[in-house]
Parts: sequence; C-alpha cells; structure tokens
Amino acid sequence: MTTLLTARGVSRRYADLFVLEPCDLELRAGEAVALAGPNGAGKTTLLSILAGALDPTTGRVESSGRIGWAPQRPALYGKLTARENVELFARLEGVPPLPTDLPDRPAATLSVGQRQRLNLALAFLGSPRLLLLDEPTASLDPVRRQELWERLDGLCAGGGAVCFVTQDLEEVRRADRVGRVEDGRLAFR
Amino acid sequence: MRRAALLFRKDLRVLRRSPFLLAVLLLYPLVIAGLVGLVASYASAKPRVALVDDDILPAQITVGGRTFHVERTIDRVAQEVTLVRLEGEEAERQLRSGRIVALLRVPRGFVADLRSMARSPRLELETTRGGLSVRVTQQVQSLVYQLNRQLEDAYVEANLEYINLLVEGGTGNFLGREFDVLGLKRAEALLDELPPGPRLDRISEFVRVASAALGATDDALRATANPIELVEADDEGRTWALSAQAQSYALALTISFLALLLAAAALAAERDEGVFARLRRGLAGPGELVAAKTALAAAAAVALGLGIVLAFGAIIELGGVEGGQPWSRVPLLALGLALAGAAFGGLGALLGALARDARTASLVAILAVLPIVFLGLVPREVAPAAASVSDAFPFAHALRFFTAALFDLDPLGAAVREGAWLLGLALLFCTAARLALRRLDA
Repeated sequence: MTTLLTARGVSRRYADLFVLEPCDLELRAGEAVALAGPNGAGKTTLLSILAGALDPTTGRVESSGRIGWAPQRPALYGKLTARENVELFARLEGVPPLPTDLPDRPAATLSVGQRQRLNLALAFLGSPRLLLLDEPTASLDPVRRQELWERLDGLCAGGGAVCFVTQDLEEVRRADRVGRVEDGRLAFR
Repeated sequence: MRRAALLFRKDLRVLRRSPFLLAVLLLYPLVIAGLVGLVASYASAKPRVALVDDDILPAQITVGGRTFHVERTIDRVAQEVTLVRLEGEEAERQLRSGRIVALLRVPRGFVADLRSMARSPRLELETTRGGLSVRVTQQVQSLVYQLNRQLEDAYVEANLEYINLLVEGGTGNFLGREFDVLGLKRAEALLDELPPGPRLDRISEFVRVASAALGATDDALRATANPIELVEADDEGRTWALSAQAQSYALALTISFLALLLAAAALAAERDEGVFARLRRGLAGPGELVAAKTALAAAAAVALGLGIVLAFGAIIELGGVEGGQPWSRVPLLALGLALAGAAFGGLGALLGALARDARTASLVAILAVLPIVFLGLVPREVAPAAASVSDAFPFAHALRFFTAALFDLDPLGAAVREGAWLLGLALLFCTAARLALRRLDA
C-alpha cells in the first residue's frame, strides 16, 4: 500500500516537559487510523505536528499529496461569512472554493455545530488525499455525522486516508488501526 | 506577496465590519491628541505668584506728575502671571507648600523711593526650586520690565519738565522743595539789556546754543530710554490651534496610536481565532502575515491622516486664515503618513507577535505608545539622552517629517532623511516581528 505520510521520531517538548515522547507513525492509502486516549495525553499535539501546524521538537514528517486538516477548535475568521471564509482559504491554498450550504452570515454568529461543519469544509478544500481530523464529529447532529462518515469512507475507498482523534468508542470501531496516546506516548494495538 | 495582499484585504473587510472598534480606533487617538494639546496649554498657563505688600501701596501713586492707579497698572502688566495678594507669613507658607510658585514682595519705602525719582525702588522675588522657577523668574522679569516701561514715560516727562524749566524758567519742585529758576530765555532777555562787549557776546552765545541744544533734548531723552524699541505688528497670523505645528503634532499622535494598536491587535487576533496554526501550514508565512498587518496600519494611517489634513484645511480655508493650507504638500504628507504608519505597524506587529492574544497586545501597545510619544515630545536641548532614545522609535521622525512637509520652504532634505529613518525602522521592526512569530509559534 502507498504510504501517504511518514512521521519518524517526532516529539514535542514545552520547556522541560515532554507533551509528546518521540514516536513513529505511517498513514497508508485506504486506511482509517484513530488516535484515542485521555484528555491531555498528546493526541492533538501529535495531529497538529502531522498537519504541519506545529513544529516537532525532534523528528520529521514527510508526506505526499495534499493534506486536509480540521483542528479541534474551529479555526475561522469570525467576522467573515462562511462563504468568505471558504473563498479566502481556497485562494490562499490556490484551489477552487467549494460551495457551502451554511448561512451567509459572520462565522461568529453561527451555531457551534455550523462552525464545526465550516471547519470540516475547509479541511476538504482542494480534495486532499489525506485528512487529519481532531474530534470531527463533536457538535455535529446525527445526520451530519453519518454524512461525514460516508464521505470519509468514500475517501479511503478511493485510495485516500484519514487519521482522526476521538473519545468515542463507536467511532474507534470505524478505524482500521487505533493508536493509543497516553502520557505523551503513542502505542498501536 | 499575493497571500499578504489577500490577508490585507481580509483585514480591511474585518475592520469595516467592526464599526465600534473602527470608531474607537479613529476617535481615541484624536481624543489623546486633544488631551495632549490641553496639557500643553496648561503647561503654558499663568503661574500663581503672591504679591506681598509690605509698603501698603496707596490706590494711586503720582510719579513725575503722572498718576498711576496701582491695581489697574498691576493688572495691565501682570499678563503672564496670576498675582494674588497675600500677607507675608501666609505667602511664605504657600511658597513652601508649592501652592504659589513665587513671592513678589514690595518692601517698605518702595513708594517713597519711586516718588523721589532719585533712587531705584526695589522689588524682591523668591521662587520655588525646580522646573518652573526659571520660567517664573523670566515672567516676573517681564512684569518688572513692563512696569519700568510704564514708569519710564513718566520719568522722561518729568525730566523734560525740568529741562523746560531750565529753558523757560519759573518755579520748580524737587524732593518737596520749591525753587525759582531764571531760565535761559529770561537770562537771554536780561543779557540783551546789558551794555555790549566781547565778554557779554560770549555769554549770550552760550545761552543761545544751550537753549537750542536743550530744545532738542526731547527726542534724545526718549531714544536714550529706549535704545531699541520693539514695535508689535497687529496679530494677523493664524492661531496656534490651526498652525502647521499643531497639524504635525495631531498627525504624529493619531498615527502613532492608531497604527501601533491596529497592527498589534490584528496580528494577535489571528492567534485568538486559532487561524494562525492553519495559515502556517504553508498558506501564509510569518513574513506575509507581518506584511499584511504593516500594510493595514499604513493604509489606516494614510486614511486617517488625510482626513485630519482635510479637516484642518477646510477650517483654514473657510475661516480665511492667513497662509492657507499647503495643499501642494499633501502628496508628500501622504508618503510620510504611509511610512510612519508602516514603521508603527511593524512595531505593533512585533508587540502582537510577543503578546500572544489581542487583549494583551492592545494593552501592551497602549502602554508602549505613551512613553514613545512623550519621549518624542521632549526637546533635544532639554534632554539629549531622551532624544537619542526617541530616535529608535518612529514618533519623533514622523513629527519631523510632517513638520517639514507642512512648514519648510524646501522640505525635501528633511523628508528624505526622516523618511529613510521611518523606512529603516519599519524594516527593522517587521524583521523582528517575523522572527518572533517564527520562534514563538513554531
């Protein structure tokens, strides 16, 4: 299977505290990988490093192709509308914007669920082969959750991959592999 | 730079959608500029000086035949200070506590000396120590000068009367004693009645020449009293509030606050919204973010600055103020505004990068801008060290640029020099902000 992303010896340290011990990870085409673990274990830190949003203290990340990323806290401009957010980030990425059915009003005035949908919409910009999603179904209603999983299944079936952070056991079962992060250490079962 | 331009347009859109913030950003620096103007006016307000009258001045004093109303004369000459009449002990107490900045004492015998015209009467001045004492001393010197000017005319008139007495003859009065003077003209008449002779001719010639010479004493005496006379023209210039200097201060102050706060808050807001992490995934680097915020600050500085220039210009033109508004200098002024805005924007971006969140960034920007502005307002002659520190910040350079653009006959030299300073500072602060973003957010 094609490897879409390889992380070797990546770690993150804040002052003297290791929030993520050196770890290795490969994400291959067609697979869904879940990262689970208690709060503060280092899951979000690991995903942010994989996404390139955070520099690792040690190690390196290599990837091929476009990577979509949805952080745990929606990263949006609150004064811009949903459409304007999508258009701006699409232009910054140099990809065509995707249509959105979200209300055309400032993102700050959207509901928590709508903001999360916008957050996910930005991850899908440019049709990435690999998606890195931090608790993607948080705040989504059951219908939207189902739609998201169907879309992720389609991505994996088409040769893409997804790595997601979750606390939900039901969602863990959807993964091909589960990485357990605890006290900054990653271990696959 | 395409990405920086996209972020710049986004920032303009965000700013347009924040009318309250926009109003505060525009009004706050204007209010600060007004307050600084008020403080500057207060600094030139009249200091409080006690007048201790140990001689018990009468309501009127006659000197050289001219009568002075004491209160009216004091009011007329004491325009630079507020004179308050106090008893000696109370005045001493207030001087020690600082309620008054100086004590002007009229000692016993003052009026007698004044009336005698034979000895200069004395006033005694005591001042507090510190920054105001020099200024108060100068103002009291000015007060005494004004009093002297008033008295000098009386003295000249009195002296001329004595000279007239010498020429015409008659009854005079000196130190309360009356005396009779023959006078040159009456002496000449008496000489004419005497039998002629060479000795009489010599005396007659002396009397004639002396009469002619003393007759010309009037102008000579007035000229001696005023070797140089200052003639004050009618006040046709513009008031300080409308002067080019006031415009320069208003522009520099408002631009400093606006550009620094805007850039600092705008950069920190990227982090507040969580977008910074998304951008740094190759969408926009620290350099592009800093460039966008600096451009935003520069654009806001140009817009607000030109607004102020237009407002000043409209008032000046409508009021028909002499000199008018230097409209031809507006393009040069716009360049200065852009450079000053960029320099302050770079500094603001640095503060925003270091402060981490918009609230802290705004607070730090306000805390930083006040000393920067006040340092820039300290004259170099008063505190050279403060001026040297101020050179490391954009305010003083912006002020000099605007002053040159509005004032100078040939502003190019100063504009190039201060513009180069502003450009250099903008590049320096932007580079520092970029490094701070890269290091702190890695």
